[in-house]
Amino acid sequence: MSSRRSHSRHSNASRITEEEINELVSKLQMMLPDAPIRRNSRVSARKVLQETCSYIRSLHQEVDDLSEKLSELLASTDTDSAEAAILRSLLMQ
Amino acid sequence: MASVPSSSSSSPSQPKTRKKPGQNSSPAPPPQTKWRTGTQERLYSRRLVDALRATRDRTQVQESVGSRAVKEAADSALALTARGQSRWSRAILFGRNSCRRKLLVKAGGKIRRHRRKQHGVPPVAAVAAEPGVLKEQKVKERLRKLGRLVPGCRKLPAATLLEEAADYVAALELQVRTMRALADALSAAAVSAPEEEETKAVDPMAIAEQGS
Repeated sequence: MSSRRSHSRHSNASRITEEEINELVSKLQMMLPDAPIRRNSRVSARKVLQETCSYIRSLHQEVDDLSEKLSELLASTDTDSAEAAILRSLLMQ
Repeated sequence: MASVPSSSSSSPSQPKTRKKPGQNSSPAPPPQTKWRTGTQERLYSRRLVDALRATRDRTQVQESVGSRAVKEAADSALALTARGQSRWSRAILFGRNSCRRKLLVKAGGKIRRHRRKQHGVPPVAAVAAEPGVLKEQKVKERLRKLGRLVPGCRKLPAATLLEEAADYVAALELQVRTMRALADALSAAAVSAPEEEETKAVDPMAIAEQGS
């Protein structure tokens, strides 16, 4: 508690308390795919960050794969059925 | 302060959303819910479709829409849907619109210099004034990795970076969901309408089946 105040000499960043950082870390942890159920106990920040990195990377990979698939599909379908399909997907939500 | 009732304030009249999608009066909802609302999905899918259509119109007739073009369109659409409220979205949008090189040189000349430093020596002094858990070396490494993954967030302090990362992850999930739905819809259309196509780009099998 008092150690926090002594850090405030250095820069503005210390106004962000440790609690806030931990909260952000746990929020991130909640978003990870297999997180909420298993990890009721606090996981180390290091682990959370590592899993976040790999999760983001895998999401990027999925986006790339889907982009490729979409570009192929766009090339092979003609305009009308593509538009129909798009409308259908929009309506289904 | 007494005008805002504590418990019942966050009960919106919209049936679709669980929380208010980012009004200015209340603090922004956490990324998990913000990006999962039906409204956002619809917004994004519409933007994505528009972007894809624009990309296709821009491409020559002979060429096909490259996968990178699709990805860029999707990323731009995603950034637009974020309405520029997060750093990564602004970074994406600025990276696309204006002449990339000029912007990078002006704003990024400094960044390049810093990057060399970071690769060589771990900058201990730079982020010294941070609470306990963040002082460990490995945590800093992971934070740096994270900063590289999220666009436009290389130099941010830890808390901001974490916030941006959370938002970015939720947005990416939305992107994946929407693109997958779109791809499924398109492939369903492609499967169901081979006989109706008059285009040349048809499977030879289908042509053979239809007879000549």
